Amino acid sequence: MRKLLILFLFFTGLCVAQKNSDPTPDEINQAKTLKIKYPKDDLVLLESKDYVTFDFNKNLRQVTVKQKINEEMLNISSRTDIQKHIFYNGQSEISNFGLKYRNQKGAYFSIKDESYTSEGLFFNDSRVKYVNVDFPVQGYKYYFEATKNVFDVKYFTSLYFSDVYPINKKEITLVVPKWLNIEIKEMNFEGFQISKKSTFDEKLNADVITYSVSGMAAVYQEEQSPGPSYIYPHLLILAKSYTNEGESYTLFNETKDLYNWYKSLVDSMKDDPAVLKEKVLELTENSKTDEEKIKNIYYWIQDNIRYIAFEDGLAGFKPDESQNVFKKRYGDCKGMANLTKQMLVAAGFDARLTWLGTKRIAYNYSIPSLSVDNHMICTVFYNGQKIFLDGTEKFNPYGEYAERIQGKQVMIENGDSFILETIPIVLPDTNKETHIFNAKINNNALEGDVSLTYSGESRATFLYAFNNLRTEMKNEALEYYLNKADRNMLVNNIETSDLENRDDQLSINYNLKQDNAVSSFDDEIYINLDYSQEYGKWLFNERNTDYEFAHKEYLSSEINLELPEGYTINELPNGIDVNTKNYKIFVDFEITDNVLHYKKIFVMKNAVVRKSNFKEWNETIKNLQAIYNQQIILVKD
Amino acid sequence: MIKKIFGITFFVLFTITGISQSKKTLEKQEEIKNLVWNDNDPYKNAMEIPENWKNESAVFLIKNVKYIYDRPGNSIEYTKIERDRIKLLDQAAITEYSELKYTEGNVFYREMSRVTNTFFLGVKVIKPNGEEIEIDVNQESVSNNDEKKIAIPSLEKGDIIDYYFYTNTIVGENDLYQYKPVESTIGDAYPIAKFEFLLETEDDFFLSFNTYNGAPKLQQIVESTKKDKKRVYSFEAENVARNDFPRWFFPLVELPSYKFQVLFARSGKYEKKAYAFIPEDANTVKTNVSKEEIFNLYEDKFRPYGNLGDVERFLKNKNFATNEEKVKEVFYYIRHAYYTNYIEAFVMNESNIMYPFELYGKNPIIFNKDEEFVRFFTAFLKDNKIDYEIIIGTQRFNGDIKDLLLESNISFILKVKTENPVYIESFDPYSTPNQISPLLENTSAYALKVVDRKHIEDIETVKLPTANYKENNSTEKTEFTIGPDFSGISVNRSFVYNGQSKLDEQNNLLMYYDYVYEDHLKYETEPILERVRNKKDKEKYKKEYAALLKNLKEKQQEKIKKRTAGEYSLEIDNYSFKIQNNGRFGKEDSFEYTDEFTIGNDLIKTAGKNYILDLGKMLGSQVDLSSKEKGRTNNIYMSYPRSFNYQLTLNIPEGYSVSGLENLTSNVENETGGFVSKATINGNKLLIEIQKFYKHNYEPNANWQKMVAFLEAASQFTQAKVLLKKE
Repeated sequence: MRKLLILFLFFTGLCVAQKNSDPTPDEINQAKTLKIKYPKDDLVLLESKDYVTFDFNKNLRQVTVKQKINEEMLNISSRTDIQKHIFYNGQSEISNFGLKYRNQKGAYFSIKDESYTSEGLFFNDSRVKYVNVDFPVQGYKYYFEATKNVFDVKYFTSLYFSDVYPINKKEITLVVPKWLNIEIKEMNFEGFQISKKSTFDEKLNADVITYSVSGMAAVYQEEQSPGPSYIYPHLLILAKSYTNEGESYTLFNETKDLYNWYKSLVDSMKDDPAVLKEKVLELTENSKTDEEKIKNIYYWIQDNIRYIAFEDGLAGFKPDESQNVFKKRYGDCKGMANLTKQMLVAAGFDARLTWLGTKRIAYNYSIPSLSVDNHMICTVFYNGQKIFLDGTEKFNPYGEYAERIQGKQVMIENGDSFILETIPIVLPDTNKETHIFNAKINNNALEGDVSLTYSGESRATFLYAFNNLRTEMKNEALEYYLNKADRNMLVNNIETSDLENRDDQLSINYNLKQDNAVSSFDDEIYINLDYSQEYGKWLFNERNTDYEFAHKEYLSSEINLELPEGYTINELPNGIDVNTKNYKIFVDFEITDNVLHYKKIFVMKNAVVRKSNFKEWNETIKNLQAIYNQQIILVKD
Repeated sequence: MIKKIFGITFFVLFTITGISQSKKTLEKQEEIKNLVWNDNDPYKNAMEIPENWKNESAVFLIKNVKYIYDRPGNSIEYTKIERDRIKLLDQAAITEYSELKYTEGNVFYREMSRVTNTFFLGVKVIKPNGEEIEIDVNQESVSNNDEKKIAIPSLEKGDIIDYYFYTNTIVGENDLYQYKPVESTIGDAYPIAKFEFLLETEDDFFLSFNTYNGAPKLQQIVESTKKDKKRVYSFEAENVARNDFPRWFFPLVELPSYKFQVLFARSGKYEKKAYAFIPEDANTVKTNVSKEEIFNLYEDKFRPYGNLGDVERFLKNKNFATNEEKVKEVFYYIRHAYYTNYIEAFVMNESNIMYPFELYGKNPIIFNKDEEFVRFFTAFLKDNKIDYEIIIGTQRFNGDIKDLLLESNISFILKVKTENPVYIESFDPYSTPNQISPLLENTSAYALKVVDRKHIEDIETVKLPTANYKENNSTEKTEFTIGPDFSGISVNRSFVYNGQSKLDEQNNLLMYYDYVYEDHLKYETEPILERVRNKKDKEKYKKEYAALLKNLKEKQQEKIKKRTAGEYSLEIDNYSFKIQNNGRFGKEDSFEYTDEFTIGNDLIKTAGKNYILDLGKMLGSQVDLSSKEKGRTNNIYMSYPRSFNYQLTLNIPEGYSVSGLENLTSNVENETGGFVSKATINGNKLLIEIQKFYKHNYEPNANWQKMVAFLEAASQFTQAKVLLKKE
């Protein structure tokens, strides 16, 4: 027998709502109006204010930052339960965290404080402070306040105008004292009515700069979006220098200062290359060329060093020593980059640490700020060329670069100075994927040989997924992949190229019997020719941001159907030939020598479909759907 | 990334201190290490795996599980040490063992007893050349809230990971203590070259233990002496295959496995108090439970007990034609009075709208244990002079009742001996008399004979009733209308569920507000808001509750919409559903609902002037067997025999005729079940009638191909197409 269970669990605090906290008719009306404007949201911040001040901590000799946050939250849905939260880390603390009712009386929810490990990291010093808050009816309101104290201004890099909730009125005020030299960079302001007011407060001896904006939508919860620094308006805070007791001190005045700080962390490392020597020798002694030596080291790191990241305090910026990463066989990007460097140096190459921001970050090194980069790789100077090696990649061949770093500016160590360089952008056909199916009709099935090839990132993706499967599952999984988990697809005689080789084109050949693809009604044969229907579901209907692919795509597909004797096709679907800046979609039908050739080419030239192109893209996809939806009809001669 | 979790889950009342890295702890840690990894360890050089396992992801060279129960001073101590030495053969295995998570020890008080939990982890990595790297767990681990984790260094393909975890619980002064039962297969996610099990106890620890399905028997390897009370038991297995859990499978019924439970009772006095099956003396290992023991254990556990005031008031001035009717009506009344009557209160409380419990009088009756309900209900039976039996059964996945060993594997059923017997098992908002868990149906069970509605006097083996596949039925009627431009299809469906098929659907679809008001109305009780007397408060709660209900209903709608879309693997729009009948009063009372929605043109293909319709897809997802599944070697354990009737009606668009009816015809029926479909045209309607049925809840493997036959027919039906031909 089942026991009496408490059936309903909500995320609620310990607090029972106060009297006089009920919404007024005005608030209810306001909530209703806002719900029409923001139908998908539950809460609106009627007002959200950030008030930022700077101070100098004499003990730490650091410029500190205090960010006071005040919000007026209104529930626009029937009932809403949220977790109101704020993140901080080892370089900051939260004080005055709390909520008030609409009558300004304190609402006592139990405040929780937990460590928070971001996805993809093993351990970091991030923490989250939060309360579970319930808004029992539409129009219900709370005031939220919190103060975030950042111990060192270099970690206070940006302020965003958007939030996870829509904001009716957003205000950011910065009180910049005269002793502090700060540059405020206004990013992505185009298209937003952001006003700026600047006054001088004599009492504080500070500039008071206030930015205001109304009607900010909530941040978009969409997959494969560009990074937030591309989309949302924000301020970059560049703390350049300060004066204390008559003396001037430089912070990050220019990129050189940023480099110097990074370099100082690198210089404090105690690498012990002796530990690596034996492995380097083992990897290089039988190599015929220098290039082969580099490859062997680079591939060994990809295959044997696991990505496990500890981002605790300075470890977020300073690489772990190469001997540690080598012994542990794991590390983060910095650890892997440094190990790559040290192993290559031990093998006699000129290899250097290289900082960069991945594709997710909109900035380059013209901005001296910690927000510019989030990644580290190794650059080897070889044959007059700079070759970039990213140890965190898997099955990445020497000389090919992953989409996420292509076109990005990098900062390469060069003693006291640094070199800025850009990682080359590759053409989409580097990632080419081809499918060919030579089919015949056999009763209600299409039957024949299929050959697939993969290159570049399409190959790397395949190899990585395949090589992470349990050995005893691999054959079954490959079959499952090829038959698309469809009971109609019978796959036999699979032959593949070496599925551990990342340099050569990957190929898979097999026999396919596709049941139930052919229907006969009366004297006619109807064929459902296309079992893949690539991009057939890719309509962007309610999307607010560009769609970014994991990498540039180039797919070429051919289905060649041998027509049975005595049958012809009266009517073929119309093809498609659309070629734009960002994509090419081509479909063609042709009959030669009693064989129907059905060709498709899809090229995502820059790995993106822009929001501004969604309309024309959708039209093309609808045409594509119409083709996919048509049966090929064979009629008797 | 899949992480190993070595959790110790304890019910922590309050934690006093975490155990710090004191000197004593470090010494203990060292002691444990030497206990596991020492010079006498016969597996310290085990490196090689059998040739036939070369293509496995990983192989256990040794899996050693050791349980120790002893009693230092006045305390009692439980220790589990598991040591695994695993050869990691591929990247997937490296990833699996790349990070380990665990919970550290703690100290807390439970019922005035001090409970000390200790957890140690030891990890070594052994390279193919024999080089051993011992991981400094204290140094390398990091804390994340209440959990510790460690990234295992130096791990590469071909390495061996050799680790142990040591779990220890010391409970302060206690006279009676029952440890959690253990039920496990010997096999694991990887094949095991050598499995060793060891259990150590001493006086006053009572052991029930048995192995099943061909697992080796437990042997006593150390007898207790006058000087040393220690007793040691063990069993070993070699070359244990990797566990594979197919569809429709009960692992503990088929795979080599073991079950045990240990009870501590300080003296004869406490032995009697123990609510468990225990061996006669601490020297004997109990391997099964006899009818007599069941009789002895429950003899006085089920003494009728309860305050029948509410029931008496309910019965006043009511006449029932039969006792059967009376029993059923009282059951429904209790289900409301002591369950559904309070649901709104729990909701109100959980959602912070109000503190509701003071509105329900001083001592509301709520059953926290199965026994409490049984005792209450038998009190009513006794009071009304209605005879009954208490039936002790066990759910099918535990094995047969004659192999019963653990008290936790028992289920109770009340058999009321009315004109037609009434079986009562579960107590929840949907439970009805004569509906017992499908996992108990058709199993052998023991009936405790109650004499004079007072004493249990005898026990007898009985067979529990079962419903047949026709009774466990779901009937779906679906009508499809194709939009004028063939751009979509609108769908209207109605469902009727009966028997066991009804329960899952009720649990999935119904929310408490769908049925509590019918109960309040029927039993003339007040819904929560009517209990609030203060007008102002009432107004406030009413608004907040209305907002909450709106929210819950939207979520319910969204959830059911998603589920429906999932059934067809299609996107659906304009979804709405309506409950027609809750089906909560009696086995024969159907659960019924209707819904409607639209789908796009996914199932309509253009073919010149004509259209091809993927009509078979409208049957919804069917079991698709992979080639591996078709070659199944295990017996088949299903929940219950069941049948599905479908009536699909297509409104043929004007100006079109239908070809291809023969694709919709199927007829496979055998002793295991069947799939039968036929299609007819009647005016402008295409009518497809389908029956799919599983005749039993169990099939021996020899019948598997017969099942495959009708499952394949159903699956093939989903591929059926018809041509809509322009006339």
